[in-house]
Amino acid sequence: MKVVVDGVTLDLPPGTSAIDAVFAAGSDVPYFCSQPYMSPIGACRMCLAKVGAPRKDRDGSWILDEETGEPKIFWFPNLMATCTTAVMDGMVVDTRSEPVKAAQNGMVEFTLINHPLDCPVCDKGGACELQDRAYEYGEGVSRFVFDKRHQEKHHALSDLITLDRERCIHCKRCVRYFEEVPGDEVLDFIERGGHTYIGTLEEGLPSNFTGNITDICPVGALLDATSRFRGRNWEYHHTETTSLDDASGSAIVVDGRTGRIERIKAGHHPEINKTWIDDGTRFGHEYADAPDRVRRPLVRHDGRLVETDWADAMDYVAARLTEVNGRDVGIAIRADATLEEGVAARALADHIGTGQLDHAPRPAGGVIAAGGQARLEELAVAGAILVVGDVTEEVPIVDLRIKDALRGVTPPSLFDHGAPIADLRLKERAPRHAEILTVAAPLRVDLMRHAGRAAQYPAGGERAFFHALTALAEGETPADGDLGMPLEAATAAVDGLRKAETAVVVLGGWVLASLQATEAALHFCRAVGAKPMLLGPMANSYGLELVGVAPSHARYAYGGMLTGAKALILSQLDPAIDPAVAERLDKLELLVVHASFLTATAKLADVVLPAAIGYEKDGTVVNLEGRMLPVRAAPVDAGESRDLTGFVKAFGEAAGQRLEGRSVKSARRWLKKGLGVDLDALPEHGGWAPAKRGPARVAVAVHEAPAHGGALRVPTMVRAEVLDRNPHLRAATGGLALGLHPDDAAALKLRSGDEVTVPVAGVPRRLVVRPSEAVPAGLATVPATPDEPVGLVPIDLKQIALERRALEVA
Amino acid sequence: MSVLDIAKGMGVTLGHLFKKPMTVQYPEQKAPVQARFRGRHHLLRHPDTGLEKCIGCSLCAAACPAYAIYVEAAENDPANPTSAGERYASIYEINMLRCIFCGLCEEACPTGAVVLGHEFELADFRYQDFVYGKEDMLVGVKGAKWQRREAAAKGKDVELGFTAPPRPELEGVDY
Ligand code: SF4
Ligand code: SF4
Ligand code: SF4
Ligand code: FES
Repeated sequence: MKVVVDGVTLDLPPGTSAIDAVFAAGSDVPYFCSQPYMSPIGACRMCLAKVGAPRKDRDGSWILDEETGEPKIFWFPNLMATCTTAVMDGMVVDTRSEPVKAAQNGMVEFTLINHPLDCPVCDKGGACELQDRAYEYGEGVSRFVFDKRHQEKHHALSDLITLDRERCIHCKRCVRYFEEVPGDEVLDFIERGGHTYIGTLEEGLPSNFTGNITDICPVGALLDATSRFRGRNWEYHHTETTSLDDASGSAIVVDGRTGRIERIKAGHHPEINKTWIDDGTRFGHEYADAPDRVRRPLVRHDGRLVETDWADAMDYVAARLTEVNGRDVGIAIRADATLEEGVAARALADHIGTGQLDHAPRPAGGVIAAGGQARLEELAVAGAILVVGDVTEEVPIVDLRIKDALRGVTPPSLFDHGAPIADLRLKERAPRHAEILTVAAPLRVDLMRHAGRAAQYPAGGERAFFHALTALAEGETPADGDLGMPLEAATAAVDGLRKAETAVVVLGGWVLASLQATEAALHFCRAVGAKPMLLGPMANSYGLELVGVAPSHARYAYGGMLTGAKALILSQLDPAIDPAVAERLDKLELLVVHASFLTATAKLADVVLPAAIGYEKDGTVVNLEGRMLPVRAAPVDAGESRDLTGFVKAFGEAAGQRLEGRSVKSARRWLKKGLGVDLDALPEHGGWAPAKRGPARVAVAVHEAPAHGGALRVPTMVRAEVLDRNPHLRAATGGLALGLHPDDAAALKLRSGDEVTVPVAGVPRRLVVRPSEAVPAGLATVPATPDEPVGLVPIDLKQIALERRALEVA
Repeated sequence: MSVLDIAKGMGVTLGHLFKKPMTVQYPEQKAPVQARFRGRHHLLRHPDTGLEKCIGCSLCAAACPAYAIYVEAAENDPANPTSAGERYASIYEINMLRCIFCGLCEEACPTGAVVLGHEFELADFRYQDFVYGKEDMLVGVKGAKWQRREAAAKGKDVELGFTAPPRPELEGVDY
């Protein structure tokens, strides 16, 4: 469609909003209430412009201007809000004439009437849309001499978000966000007119995605409470990187100041997280600066760990390793290590001459589906989705992309100025196609609220569940009880998957934990023609599987290594939380631990080397879709911490060898040779990983005992292993939960909030009792950690010890 | 150049021989400075409440062309506030070696909390001693670090080597 904006002629697709036409033409109108990826509502009236269009006569021909002979432009009688106006053929937009300027002036003045203007003490100052627009479009002086409206200035909406009600300009972005994006309606306007304020019905904001409102609030009304007053916006150093919190590969911006990470904001990746991140990713960074961080290498002398430097520590390691047969050395790294670190680990194993190399947690069935897997963009437009697992906790961004599919609006195409500012296809309170979504889990999970069909199969019954579904797909009648939902519902779900143009089956950790369940699931996907999406347990599970950080024999896998090896090199893993394992580790000839904290394992080590955490390293990760994404180090002070490439470099220097993977650069040379990917030339938004895998070492356990036990380890949005070092998140979540059915809790005489210690698969866990109807009777849920991956495990509820009673609530 | 010009020049020189000399016998004699003279900074308090005027907004640090100021803010304890409002400076440091005494920080301050005073005797021995914190600049502190050190060692009051007429912006500063 031909549109003329301030004399610039454009050709735009129908359905484009006038505000996007204005920006596409390189002109500018101010706006407050529109926000990319959300519905335009025309609430702020800042985006006014003079709009006109030609008209057609009854006979279908353009009404012509008598003087020029061109089609006559009929101007709208009033200025129009460009965000809610769709372009028409031949439309003319004028953003520069006097009436427009007067309107912009007036609107800025009107918005500022009740605004407190405490910019010097406002955390938004310097990055505030109202400040900028007032500067660009305001008069510069105020005529308002009366008392301003006074409201609450410091309202804690939750432990993580502070609300200053005086600063709110009623743009409704936050209210719309909750309804439209996560679908958790927790915020709304209360009162009306000048008294309007935003508030909640109950205490707190029960959603996993609350922090995003602090990014989109155009003013300093909604603020991140964890970084309150920590720095001004121009003082932060912004590092655009990829989150290593889960397998989604969400784009984040790490804001640091004077060597500390102060806050994390959402980055923009149009095909992954758009502009949203979950609260675990946003607020879960405080542990980087925890007081018990290991900042220098430690070597054991006379039974005590003594501080030293890298060269000294590595001389010791290299010397001691010569005393052990290379084949008896085990090397294991955590699955959020970067690709480059994976190469370094392989090089180290090759140098030492061991087949005992692994990454953990590594799901039995792997995370790369043989026949290719679904991408997030496909999930967002899928016509039928089956989810087995708790995605909202496991990889929360997948939850949001499923909700995109429920809205049935395809992702917008981008303009030069980014995502459309006003996407007219998006509507407030749009109907959702719940019927396309089926959610199955052994307990009631949050996403079931949005699902047309919910199935609750018995814990550990993933394989039987998929067998039953496959039977249905093949026209047989499945065994009763395996499906966890009525037969008609299951039939409808299977039919939906089969008929949909794009059908996606999302497989969570409970499925991947078992090789047989994974195979059953992939078989079902083939049977109905659906694409699987495998949720890897950690940020780079896909990548490490790809480069082949895996053992040469099944018995050399991580679990076997812990019992079989004579010397161990562990990076960021903490198996010693299990007392039985700790006893064995204590008897090793050499235990080298590369860790960020003095964990239970590090306390047993002969040598502890300080490890860089995700915000402190450069490298590449591969997310659950198979997309390679860049990780960049923020300028933070982490003492002498290094990542594994730094570890291998120091080791090589001590051993007199130049090992491959001794730096990010050298690892990339290996990757270019081995996998044919040039990571130095990775595009800004990442690129697809090659189908080819690294020289294979892969082996998986073949025999698999069925999982059993009374405790289900569940994924959590927050990183459970470091929650205690994240004080704000800990306060907000109330600690790690032991989920019990209310009847079970009552039988154990436990109340909500009681702190208990209970052995779970042999590991004593300190948890907070949270009785919930969502947990089936007879089952307990405990949070999973990298060292205690998701799955069904035994629990000894008889040995539960009460540490602290919850306060009695009257 | 003519002989006459040389004679004129000599005349000027000769004239000055008989004028009162400008030399000040510093430090025995106090040096007079102008009211607008820009010396070491003072951090002021509200005279009525005694609360600090500084709200820790860092605008001075942003304005400083020499990157001499470092501010870290914190939240006031409502029961026992340090400054008026929600926010105060928990750390406020100026590196006097970097400072060029331009006064832009004073102009940037929205509350008139940081004002350049008249003290100029700032020479010291160690780098660290040139970094002035809140305890060195809050109103009521008299003299540079070394002057206070010396005075404390001798058990005497700080003796400043200058006199200056009052300046209204320096609310509560008394030499
Ligand atoms: S919201 Fe913006 S305009 Fe309002 S006080 Fe904060 S920085 Fe100033
Ligand atoms: S709190 Fe912020 S986002 Fe919400 S309505 Fe007010 S100004 Fe808009
Ligand atoms: S006087 Fe100038 S150089 Fe000195 S601290 Fe202030 S702004 Fe910086
Ligand atoms: S009315 Fe707010 S952006 Fe158009």
